[in-house]
Amino acid sequence: MPHKPQTILEQMLAKGYTRRDFLRFCSYITAAAGIHASGLSKVVKALETKARPPVVWFHFQECTCCSESFIRSSHPIVADIVLDKISLDYTETLQAAAGHQAEEALHKTMKENYGNYLMLVEGSVPTKDGGIYCTIAGKTALSTVKEAAEGAAAIIAWGSCASNGCIQAANPNPTGATPIYKIITNKPIINVPGCPPIAEVMAGVVVHYLAFNRIPQLDGLKRPKAFYSKRVHDSCYRRPYYDAGLFVETFDDENAKKGYCLYKVGCRGPVTYNSCGIIRWNDGVSYPIQSGHGCIGCSEANFWDNGPFYQHLASFPGFGIETTADTIGTILGIGTAAGIAAHAVATNIRKRKIIKHELEHSVKDEELKATDEEKKGGE
Amino acid sequence: MKAAKTKYAEYYQIYVWELPVRFYHWINALCIVVLAITGYLIGQPIAIHSSTEASFQYWFGTVRFIHFSFAFVFFFNFLYRIYWGFVGNSFASWKTFIPYTPQHWKEIFHVLCLDVLQICKKPLKSIGHNALAGLTYFLTFLVFLFQAITGFGLYAGMSDNWFTGLFTWIIPLMGGDFAVRQWHHLMMWFFIIFAMIHVYLVFYHDYIEERGTTSSMVGGWKFIEKPEKE
Amino acid sequence: MATRIVVDPITRIEGHLRIEAEVKNGKIADAYSSGTMVRGFEIILKGRDPRDAWAFVERACGVCTTVHALASVRAVENALKIEVPPNAELIRNLMFCAQYVQDHVVHFYHLHALDWVDVVSALKANPAEAARIAQSISPWPKNSASYFKEVQKRIQTFVESGQLGIFANGYWGHPAYKLPPEVNLLAVSHYLDALEWQKEVVKIHTIFGGKNPHPNYLVGGAPCSINPDDAMALNAERLAKVGQLIGDAIDFVEQVYIPDLLAVAGFYKEWFAIGGGLKNYLSYGDLPTNGYNDPTNFKFPRGAILNRNLNEVFEVKGDDPDQVREYVTHSWYKYNGDNNTSLHPWDGETEFNYTGPQPPYEHLNVEGKYSWLKTPRWKDNPMEVGPLARMLVAYASGSTDVQEVVNETLKKLNAPVTALFSTLGRTAARGLETKLTAHWMKGFHQDLINNIKNGDTRMFNKEKWEPETWPAEAKGVGLSEAPRGALAHWIVIKDKKIDNYQLVVPSTWNASPRDANGNQSSYEASLMDTPMANSDQPLEILRTVHSFDPCIACAVH
Ligand code: HEM
Ligand code: HEM
Ligand code: NFV
Ligand code: SF4
Ligand code: SF4
Ligand code: F3S
Ligand SMILES: [Mg+2]
Repeated sequence: MPHKPQTILEQMLAKGYTRRDFLRFCSYITAAAGIHASGLSKVVKALETKARPPVVWFHFQECTCCSESFIRSSHPIVADIVLDKISLDYTETLQAAAGHQAEEALHKTMKENYGNYLMLVEGSVPTKDGGIYCTIAGKTALSTVKEAAEGAAAIIAWGSCASNGCIQAANPNPTGATPIYKIITNKPIINVPGCPPIAEVMAGVVVHYLAFNRIPQLDGLKRPKAFYSKRVHDSCYRRPYYDAGLFVETFDDENAKKGYCLYKVGCRGPVTYNSCGIIRWNDGVSYPIQSGHGCIGCSEANFWDNGPFYQHLASFPGFGIETTADTIGTILGIGTAAGIAAHAVATNIRKRKIIKHELEHSVKDEELKATDEEKKGGE
Repeated sequence: MKAAKTKYAEYYQIYVWELPVRFYHWINALCIVVLAITGYLIGQPIAIHSSTEASFQYWFGTVRFIHFSFAFVFFFNFLYRIYWGFVGNSFASWKTFIPYTPQHWKEIFHVLCLDVLQICKKPLKSIGHNALAGLTYFLTFLVFLFQAITGFGLYAGMSDNWFTGLFTWIIPLMGGDFAVRQWHHLMMWFFIIFAMIHVYLVFYHDYIEERGTTSSMVGGWKFIEKPEKE
Repeated sequence: MATRIVVDPITRIEGHLRIEAEVKNGKIADAYSSGTMVRGFEIILKGRDPRDAWAFVERACGVCTTVHALASVRAVENALKIEVPPNAELIRNLMFCAQYVQDHVVHFYHLHALDWVDVVSALKANPAEAARIAQSISPWPKNSASYFKEVQKRIQTFVESGQLGIFANGYWGHPAYKLPPEVNLLAVSHYLDALEWQKEVVKIHTIFGGKNPHPNYLVGGAPCSINPDDAMALNAERLAKVGQLIGDAIDFVEQVYIPDLLAVAGFYKEWFAIGGGLKNYLSYGDLPTNGYNDPTNFKFPRGAILNRNLNEVFEVKGDDPDQVREYVTHSWYKYNGDNNTSLHPWDGETEFNYTGPQPPYEHLNVEGKYSWLKTPRWKDNPMEVGPLARMLVAYASGSTDVQEVVNETLKKLNAPVTALFSTLGRTAARGLETKLTAHWMKGFHQDLINNIKNGDTRMFNKEKWEPETWPAEAKGVGLSEAPRGALAHWIVIKDKKIDNYQLVVPSTWNASPRDANGNQSSYEASLMDTPMANSDQPLEILRTVHSFDPCIACAVH
């Protein structure tokens, strides 16, 4: 007999929590998901009436650091999400079953919850050469992602890998690594970029989906507005130094010890959309800039090809690593100046000829007078 | 035909650059100089080793503020020039910028031959800017537009203004803020090089053609010889 | 008749690993290990700024995050002859140890435990009895009857919901599970505790490197500056926080991990005789106490052991062209020259050459190429790397710290030294080095504080930072000991750019396919002769493979 899945409220009551605990939990995730307090009653209602939603988590071309980041979440903690809030039916990193038992668990969920399961993807999908650069259970990631997407209610693309291709898509992208949104175009997709994304951002996105059974508000790049609408620079505590024009010139110099702005050692904070400056990392302990290294822009598409990381300007492809727009501009500027100089010399020679010619052909004094008189007469 | 020019040759005085064009020109030139200097400083701030409290300094913020302020002036001044291209005199008309007739192209090759390579002799007839200059200005206008779109696109990230919001589409189109900034920075060099060549050519024309090209952008008048009477 | 069994995906590991095995008369008669995902790091790195390389290679793996960054900055510093200030070395050591402690604990509870622990059986446990057992082996304050009862209730509800989530289709009730219900309950409870604790210890990375996973490194030092007078720099508050995290880590390892490890091992002694595999062990050594260029002062010594002969430790050199070399005979790559030859990583080549079956496929062609891993060899010997190799090399080299914990543990388990050469020996060695690194961390922390006290706050050597100061051509190698074993990166720098970059990773050593001579690597060798109770349920395969803590993203890169 198939079990009727319990709602989250029922499960919590069964676990000995009180309804009051439940309400406290609701207000907590309301806050965590960045929802206005007036939305609390909706969250309560949603969790009272819902069974644990089935979730499948795929790994393709990735480094598993998104999973690692996820399990670092401090609010809510991951054990609570995995045991109490979702039914994580497939995840290669944590599940007990392996081989065809794992495959069977996956296919059972996909079949029984067709149209309703949440699909999480960590990693990009190689598309070159028929997708042979990533196979699982003998099948390509490309075929798996397409098959699984068909019955998914929504897809969350974890990390820069799944949302923009990340490192394996860096030039020359040897495997044709492709982000999910370029392969699946007919499903709601939430991109959660970052290499990896911040744990609480990941948890926040899942919790938002659970609470409202719909995806959060997204920007043009399908990123949740709650976490990606501000640049790292906008909330950076070193920002006053930026405005004051006080910069670290080299690592560990006097200015570095004073915590000045890292702009001149390559900080990508001004061009990177993420919540590092606000939420910070690992329960708010620090974030790259606070620990002295510039942001490398890990949540931006193509950030690997925007190097070198310690230079404010990218180097030009095809030139040496230190050739930037300014080097090229300077060279062109010098070339232009040389061209102008050469042109000026040529012009002078020509002008001299013109003057000579004019003088030769110019009328003599008497003629001039005559012309003058002629003119007067004519008037 | 005898002696080409004499001190006594006769000239028409022609009102080429109307006051709005002259205003536009000098505001524009000023904006570009200021934007290039402030932009360069934004890209490559000078090194300061001092122990002043950050709260007593704001030079970089000021540089950025100047950049953004002049950016607005630059942009609206440019829009105004476009408008004037439709209502101004024939020298200001948009038609002088776009080489849409074979005549334009003929003149372009003529200018190349005469002024750049200096191998032709036949003098040019046009009075405002020649067809090549026009085309160059047209391309320059496109770069103005590019610089404004990328600049305001970047600025939108730090402003809630509805106006800058009109430019946000450029960011994803170019692949993110980083790429936009790189291009915006690279284009600064276009302006620097344009200004070098442009100012040189103004003096060159003045020198060679003797029509008062330089002062024309101040007073508006050019001096064009009357064709010789036979 | 032999039956070919396929386990793909191998779960509770990092990455995409496939095992194909022949089972004959209830035992594994042959085994093939294949990595099925590749990204092409070595191709992508070409032409980039060597100073950026650490960030790229760090992304080889988010589980052993930081170790590739460390090997990379060392390779570049080695090439450019940069010496890092002592404080930076100490911070690297602290991050190294924190990584070990976190990674090993997560491996034991979240990746390996379910091979030994039957979650469903825990439902039958008597919580009071579980508490009695727990209290008899550890003073951990959470080990109370009411706590175990609470956990049991939580699992009960979970199971009754009918949605088994990550526990669905597990091998519950398999005859190879031997723990009494109370020990199962104990382990499941600590599974949850470990999950909550692991996110704390990584804050050591966050403080020094700004985030975890993937903290920041810097060629020539460390990016975090010391300034006792600045609120945001490394100051007394930050260092105190590190001190507290180290204290908590020691408590968790000593009061939870090690007691659980010994308790579980006690019920599976037959696994001290299964899964030994290769007889050769390699360790590059790590944790410098007198600078990276002086390996004689490493906490983990450098060396190789052949044929399980603990009386002789061979010298290991990364720059010797005859020592570490890689084959691609059975790997989906091609060399420009002879495909059956091996190359030293400075001359290494990475060019894809997929010759496997077109997906979807049932079986790999194991006669030909069958994996995305290359096959590394040391003086043409297949080597096992990892905690066991590290402990053995240290033990044989005379490290007293190591000899002490090893002997003490063997005594407790009433097992001979040879018991180490096994699946369980590997799992035990991992626990022991976790204990050591947790304690060493305390020493490094104190050294850092002492340095600052003595006025040394240097963190970065900028002499060779600017590319103008570099030679036209340079070669370097960075050796390290990642949690899973010997890790090294080789770099060739030409015209200020990366001309060649090769990673030879611990899991590459262990999980690689055969070499040109048909010799198996660690996974394959240690699966040989493993008894299988039920060839449809690969629990025994998982036990041995998991004892290596596979990381295939690392291995392939
Ligand atoms: C002649 C025209 C202009 C020139 C030469 C110029 C030049 C520059 C340069 C060189 C930079 C530094 C880029 C970098 O290295 O990151 C810059 C930054 C910037 N410019 Fe312009 N710019 C021009 C017009 C504009 C306009 C019309 C806008 C419109 C708002 C604008 C907005 C910006 C912004 C927002 C930044 C980034 C400043 C920051 O984030 O602190 N610019 N500009
Ligand atoms: C000494 C300084 C300058 C002088 C004397 C000068 C003079 C002139 C003259 C005479 C023209 C008419 C062009 C022609 O006859 O072909 C012109 C047009 C123009 N100049 Fe300049 N210029 C100066 C500096 C600049 C600078 C610094 C810029 C900006 C970078 C600039 C931008 C332009 C533009 C865009 C036009 C086309 C105007 C139009 O027709 O709308 N000028 N300038
Ligand atoms: N193999 C491996 Fe790693 C480790 N430890 C790296 O060097 O896991 Ni991801
Ligand atoms: S996005 Fe970055 S951190 Fe996440 S899996 Fe990809 S490489 Fe790893
Ligand atoms: S450190 Fe980076 S993000 Fe912070 S203010 Fe400076 S440039 Fe902006
Ligand atoms: S590098 Fe990534 S972690 Fe944040 S500060 Fe920059 S987005
Ligand atoms: Mg390699």
